[in-house]
Amino acid sequence: MLVNVDPRDARPLYLQIMDEVRRALVVGTLRPEDPLPSVRELASELVVNPRTVSQAYRELEREGVIYVRRGQGTFVAPDARSGRDERRALAREVAKRALLDARRSGLGVEELVTFIREVAAEEEGEPSRSAAAASEGDEE
Amino acid sequence: MSRPTHPDPDVDACAVSTHGLTRRYRGVTALDRVDLRVPEGAVYVLVGANGAGKSTTLRLLMNLERPDAGTAEVFGLDTVRDGPGVRAQIGYVPEHHDAGYRWMRCGRLLRHAAAYYPAWDPAYADHLGRAFGLKPDRRVGTLSKGEARRLQLVMALAHRPPLLLLDEPTDGLDPVVRRQTLALLAEHLADTPTTVLVSTHQVYEVESLADHVGVLREGRLVAQLSRDELRRTVRRYRVEVPEGWEAPPGLRGTGARRSGTGREVQWTLVGEEREVTERLALAGARVREVTPLGLEDAALAFLPEEGPR
Repeated sequence: MLVNVDPRDARPLYLQIMDEVRRALVVGTLRPEDPLPSVRELASELVVNPRTVSQAYRELEREGVIYVRRGQGTFVAPDARSGRDERRALAREVAKRALLDARRSGLGVEELVTFIREVAAEEEGEPSRSAAAASEGDEE
Repeated sequence: MSRPTHPDPDVDACAVSTHGLTRRYRGVTALDRVDLRVPEGAVYVLVGANGAGKSTTLRLLMNLERPDAGTAEVFGLDTVRDGPGVRAQIGYVPEHHDAGYRWMRCGRLLRHAAAYYPAWDPAYADHLGRAFGLKPDRRVGTLSKGEARRLQLVMALAHRPPLLLLDEPTDGLDPVVRRQTLALLAEHLADTPTTVLVSTHQVYEVESLADHVGVLREGRLVAQLSRDELRRTVRRYRVEVPEGWEAPPGLRGTGARRSGTGREVQWTLVGEEREVTERLALAGARVREVTPLGLEDAALAFLPEEGPR
C-alpha cells in the first residue's frame, strides 16, 4: 500500500490517510486480511504525528474497514471488499474535488459533466484503442 | 482577570504554562505578558519572525534567563524556584549550534551527558547516533553546523524526557537529514509519551507533526489554538466586490489581494465562517468561495505581511 498525504492540503491529515487506505482497497493494492503498517511505521514514513495515524486507524476500525488483532497489528477486515460502499465514498471524494475546481472557475455542474464526457471520449478515441474497445465490448 | 492567583483549571493538564511572562533586554521588551498553554502530549509549534521572542521563551522555560515579570511552570514546577528539577524533565535543542565541550569526542560527550540523566537510554543513543551518521571519534569542535545539530538532537532525545524544547531544530540540516530528523521525531513520539514545544520560522517543516500553534509577534502571543480550531476559524474568502469597494473596518486578517480585474478580492480572515460571511455580505461583498487552509498559511494570517507597511 502506498500512502500519500499533503500537509498543505486543507483536509485534515487523518482524513487523507483514511482516503488513501480506501483508495488502496478499491484499486486492489490492499486486500482483506492484509496487514497495515504500524502506527509508528506510518507516522515515520509520512512524517506525521503518530496520534494522527492512530485517529485514522480508529475511525477506519469503527467503520469496519480494518481491525486490530491484539499483539499482532492492524489488518484489513475480511469483509472489507472493494465493494460498493468504498467505491461510492471514493467516487464522491473525487467528484467533490472536481466540483470545487469547477466552481472556482465559474463553471456549472452540467457544464462540468458534459466536458468530462467530451474529454473522456477524445482520450478513448486516441492512443489506447484497446481500452475503448474493451468498454464497448462491455456494453454489448 | 487576575490569572496568577487563580490558575484556570486547564493549567493542570498543561506540560507548560506561563503567566504574564515578560522579559526585557536593556529596556526593550522581548517578551510581553505571554500566557502560554502547552497541553500535555501536544506538539506545539511556536511561530514568529526572527526576534519575535521564540528563543527567549524557550530560554526562560529552561531557566537560562530569569523573567522580569510573570512566572512559568513546567509540569507544575516553577522554572525559577526549581530550575534543576525543571531541566531534568526537558530535552533542549538551543538556538545556537554549540554543543559545548569542544575538545571532547562525540562519543565521550554522549557518555558525559548520560551521567546527568538517570533515564538515559544508551542503546537508543547509539541508535540515534547511527541513524544520524555521527562518528563517535570526531571532536565536537570540528563538527559542521549540521553535525553539531544532530549531536544536540541525540542529547535531547536519548533520555526520553517528558518535554522537548526544540529551538529551530532543523536549522543547518540539509533537506535529506531534515526529513530524516522529523521522521525520527515521529518515531520518538510513537514510542515515548512526550510533549513537544518547537519554535520555527519554517512552519512547513513541522506542519504535519504539529497539533497546536502559538503565534508570537513582537513579543506578544497574538494567537494560541489547536490545529482543529485553526482550521475552523481561519479561512480564505474569495469575494466579488463592486468597483472601488472599501474593506469594512474591523475585519482581521492579512491584507486584501485584488485580482487583475479589481472586482475579485481574496482574503484570509479570522472568525467563524458564518459570522465572517455575514459581515462581508453586509459590507456589499459577495462571497464566492470559502476554503480552509493548511496550518502554515493559517498561522501566517496572524502575522503582518512582509515588507513596509
